[in-house]
Amino acid sequence: MLEGIGVSKKFGGLAAVSNFDFSVVEGQIVGLIGPNGSGKTTLFNVITGFYPPDTGRVIFKGREITHHKPYQIAKLGIARTFQIVRPFLELSVLDNVAIAVLYGRENMGSMEKGRARALELLKFVGLESKKDVLAHQLVAVERKRLELARALAIKPEFLLLDETFSGLSDTEIQEAIRLIYRIRDDLGVTIFLIEHVMKAVMGTCEKIIVIHYGLKLAEGRPEEVSQNPLVIQAYLGKRRA
Amino acid sequence: MELRRGVILNLEQDKKLVDNRTRVRRLMRTSIVVLIILLFLFPIIRPPLFFLTLFFSVFMYVALTESWNLMGGYTGYVSLGHVTFFSIGAYTTALFMNRFGVSPFATAILGGIFAAGLAGLVGYPVLRLRGAYFVISTLLLAVIMQLIFMNWEFVGSSTGLWFKLLPVSMETNRLIFYEVMLVLATLITLLVRRVEKSKLGAGLIAIREDEDVAKTIGINTPWLKMQAFILGAFFAGCVGGIYGYYMSYIHPDITFNINTSLLILLMAFFGGCHTWTGPLLGAVILSLANQLIVTFIGAEISRILYGLLLVIIIIFMPDGVIEYIRASQFFQKERTS
Repeated sequence: MLEGIGVSKKFGGLAAVSNFDFSVVEGQIVGLIGPNGSGKTTLFNVITGFYPPDTGRVIFKGREITHHKPYQIAKLGIARTFQIVRPFLELSVLDNVAIAVLYGRENMGSMEKGRARALELLKFVGLESKKDVLAHQLVAVERKRLELARALAIKPEFLLLDETFSGLSDTEIQEAIRLIYRIRDDLGVTIFLIEHVMKAVMGTCEKIIVIHYGLKLAEGRPEEVSQNPLVIQAYLGKRRA
Repeated sequence: MELRRGVILNLEQDKKLVDNRTRVRRLMRTSIVVLIILLFLFPIIRPPLFFLTLFFSVFMYVALTESWNLMGGYTGYVSLGHVTFFSIGAYTTALFMNRFGVSPFATAILGGIFAAGLAGLVGYPVLRLRGAYFVISTLLLAVIMQLIFMNWEFVGSSTGLWFKLLPVSMETNRLIFYEVMLVLATLITLLVRRVEKSKLGAGLIAIREDEDVAKTIGINTPWLKMQAFILGAFFAGCVGGIYGYYMSYIHPDITFNINTSLLILLMAFFGGCHTWTGPLLGAVILSLANQLIVTFIGAEISRILYGLLLVIIIIFMPDGVIEYIRASQFFQKERTS
């Protein structure tokens, strides 16, 4: 469904991502892991059009989106969340989602319709009791849910999640994993996620891609990847491998 | 059980609160309508010119501040170039009337169109900038345009332009444009209010809150910003045209004066720039205060008082007067109910 061929992005002399190939099949949950600064978020920013890649191509549903603008990519059906959640702080939870409904792929014309649809989404993520609260009054886990609801509001077919589990407690992570399965199974959204919480990645993803210094280190099923000596070396150092 | 009762009680309290709010809102709406009608009828009692001009300037600042707020308040792009669009409107109007004899009511709209055109041209590069860079570039726009008009023979350069008056007396002329400005200010305020509650308004607010996130939910941010910039400029241009008629003389030093831009900005922040009511309140209070202090106490003192007032507002009501009133109203009712 989403495919990258030889994607490179340099910042000055630093190659954040180099000659990177990846592919995500429709209906999959794929994880992208790697140590800090390995280029994960850069790759997401390239996919969503925030950074134009220096070389390479990104293809979504057989269509090249390499030099599309972020809002065009959103309109094609790729939604994303941010590593540090970024709700519209001054707006109510409901309006945060309603605006995304209005400008998303359903392209509704009036605030009322947008709010009605937004309420359904808030129910889906379990945040409907907070609908009239201003976003800055939410606690961390609620903000993450809001971020998800807003991303889903554009009616995406593909969802990029940037460290959704970070900072959550064990029970909260379990809930979040269930939610991600529901997004995939009930809404039919394909998911590509960046994650640091290893337990969550190993339990959730069908395929894992490991990135290190902008290069692809390994790719495969979770148990294969976790046994790979190169991966262990990247995370724990040479001696442990 | 105890808990449930608590919940029910809260609901009743909430309902009372909502009822009170709608009542206050209805009262406000009625009094604004009545006030506008009274202001419209005001010239019947043949008031002295002083009051006419005082109210005219209040209407003008209401219209300018509301139109500025599309960009400055909702979108969060603070422009110092608003005076330029206002002046372009005034000059376009003067030129079309004096040279081509176009009717004054059509020329004000032409002024708006020219201002909007300039906004489109300037907006294309300038709207790519954010924060302080945007502010500085719009400041430059205002300064450069003033210099151009100061030295451009065709538009009267430093001698300014006189308006050909309508074939009526000076007083009647002023009366006509007093009424026109009142209608224009009302229209602009209503339109801005409409935008605020529309899809466009929601998109603009999303840009203010977080422009990158706005892009990820499918908002074509450059296009939305352009719409707000052009619409604001169009309104300012129309206002400029009517201003020119009322004053019957325009000069780059007066019309293009950067202080006007600063005043607009202060009025919006003073009132509170997140809703349409803030700029309305800010423009009314500050333009009245400014004119009255200048007239009755003196221009020098006025600046000191004006500055003092602003400092007080910034310290005690950082979100603007309207948000302060709203918050206090809310608490009062919660306590009494």
